[in-house]
Order: sequence, then structure tokens, then C-alpha cells
Amino acid sequence: MFAEKVIELLKESERNPDTIDQFNDDKIRQILEEMDLLFKMNMNDANATTENRSLWTTVQVRHSALERNKRCLLAYLCSRMNKIKTLRWEFGSILPADIRELLSDEEYEWFSKYSTNLASYMRSLGQDIGYSGIDLTENLKPPKSLYIEVLCVLDYGKLELEDGDVIMLKKNSRHFLPTSECQTLIRQGVLKQIT
Amino acid sequence: MENTSYLSIQDILVTNEKVPCKFLHDLPKMGFLDPSATEEDLKAGTHLDIPLWLAESLYSRRPPLISVELPKIYKESYREILGADACTVDMHKLGKYFYEMGCYVAKHDIKGEVSATLMNTFRQRFRMLLSASVSNDSISSMQPLSESERVQAAAAATTERALAMWLQRGESPLTAANMVANHRKRKRAEMEML
Repeated sequence: MFAEKVIELLKESERNPDTIDQFNDDKIRQILEEMDLLFKMNMNDANATTENRSLWTTVQVRHSALERNKRCLLAYLCSRMNKIKTLRWEFGSILPADIRELLSDEEYEWFSKYSTNLASYMRSLGQDIGYSGIDLTENLKPPKSLYIEVLCVLDYGKLELEDGDVIMLKKNSRHFLPTSECQTLIRQGVLKQIT
Repeated sequence: MENTSYLSIQDILVTNEKVPCKFLHDLPKMGFLDPSATEEDLKAGTHLDIPLWLAESLYSRRPPLISVELPKIYKESYREILGADACTVDMHKLGKYFYEMGCYVAKHDIKGEVSATLMNTFRQRFRMLLSASVSNDSISSMQPLSESERVQAAAAATTERALAMWLQRGESPLTAANMVANHRKRKRAEMEML
């Protein structure tokens, strides 16, 4: 049957809508091979239709299969692209190594370009009224208080605050920090707010 | 509608479901579509279950290469069951994509009763879903849901939880981003498997 491999591919990525999977190079190659084969068979039969009109229907069936494969592949790439976009907002501009290796080279290039675009857009914001840009990835929820108490979830290392103080973020240590300085770390899962 | 877009994975999975069809023309070299056929060509008049996407595309050719028949859940006998009480039907088993698929096959139903059944079923089942999600303990006691109903039920549950939290505390604490949290959970699961 046509276009079965590509469905496997989509089901795989649909199973984990909230995380990104390894880019499935191997399966994509197989699908492209299937499409190539279909195309060649179609070329042959299309040339033969002058003698045998009934072959035309066969060509149409294969053509539908080709279009289907194309649609599925594009959908796969598009859904991954949306996930990569989310990665930029949630993990920040530098991806952890274990996520980096899940992307293909082209996807990583796209990520870098998106990241640069977003950064230059955020820098350009509010320049006409004297600000030097706004970080849109901050304050996704309205801030309730200036300082919050946080628990460190993993060994992160040193963090330099805006006033020049340097604090050591060690696992299971508690800190009382300005909300503006730790909310990015909370989103990245380094700190956890204690309420 | 969002879920009929070209790039929607949801719609692709819906159109992967099979529908019974009758072939109106000979298809040379397409005998492999019919697993019970021994010949190389597919003869006109063959009845076969083919994926909806293929059926749609062959049906839209001029002249149509096939005629599409209704899958069994949209037939008279099942319509009667759904009309009697749609809430007792195991939707997951009968039609994982009951509504979405119904929208596609409704145009092949000459009498036009399928669309009425779809509306009616949705009305009955949505009421059940709604009352179950506000009381938040009875979702598991419901009949297995179709795919889109599952999404609705999950959305209802999250909203309900968020509302309860907000009412209790009047604020929402900062949390780790969705993908970050899920990535970590998954990594932990992989570690435990090793």
C-alpha cells in the first residue's frame, strides 16, 4: 500500500506532542526512495499512454500517492519547526547539548537564524522612546511581587546579580531573589518557586 | 477550520482511515491494492477498502474512478443505535475519528441523514463530556472517547484545575516551561529504563 511509512513517521511524532524527538533521517530517506520509485513508474507509464489509454488511470492513482507523501513530509517538517520555535522561547538562545543532538543540521541552522531574528526584533523595540529593547521572553505572567523565594533544583554554578553580588546556585539551596533575575531560570527548570 | 489545513497532522491521520469503495474503471497494474486478487490488474466492479485520502482523490477525478460507500458506523443500523443513546457507544473502538471522518463521508450519503446524526451525536455526547469534566472524577467512568473528545476532555480538566488553583490562592506561581518539564521527565524515564 502507498504512503504507509510516512504515517508511521507522523504517528511517532504525534505520540509526544510536548517533546521533540530525534530527527528521523533514515525513515525520510526511505520515503523519498518510495516517491522516487513512484515517479519513475509514472514516467514510464505516462510515456506509454499514447498506445494504451487505460494506463492513464494508473498514473493518476500513483500521482495521488505522490502528493500524499509530499503533504505528509511537509506536515512532519512543519510540526517540528513549530516545536523548535517553542524551544527558543522555553530553553533560551542556547540549547542544552542533549536537545541540540535531536535536531538535524538544517534545523539547527534554522533555530540559530530564528534566534537571531527574535533577538534583533526585541532589541529594536521601544528604541524611539529611549529604551534599549524589551525582552519578550520575560514576564509571561504578570509579576506579583518584586522578590520571591526559590529552591535550586540542580547544580547550576555562579550567578551574578544586577547589583554585582555573586551567588552560588547549588542543588537544594534556597535563595530570596528579585523576580526579574530568576524568572528565566525558573522557566528553564533550574530554580523552583516556593510558595 | 484549523484541523483541515494542509499541514495538520490530525487531518492526515483522519484521512488515513479506510472507507469501502467500488471501482468503476479498470486499473492496470494496480492489482496489489486488493490483497485477495491474483491478477496484475484491478478490474472494474471490485469492492475494496482504501484509505480516505486515496478515495477522495480518485472520486474527484473527472469522470470519478470510484464510488464511495459509507463505512459501517455511518450506516442505518448504527445510526439507530446512536440515535437511541449516543453516550453508551464505545467511540474509541467504533470510530476513533467519528466526527472528522463523518464530515468527509457525509457528502457520499445520498439521503443526507449522516450529517443530522453527526450533529445529534455531538450534542448528546458533548453534554455528557461537559458535566463529567466539571465534576472531575467521572471522566474515567465514561465510555471510551473518540480522539477529538479526548482532546476536549483533557483541555477541560486542565482549565478546571487552573481555575481551582486560582480561586484558592489568587495567584499563579512561576513554573518551568512545558517543554522543559516534559523533556526532563522523559530523560528520567529513559534513565530508569537503563
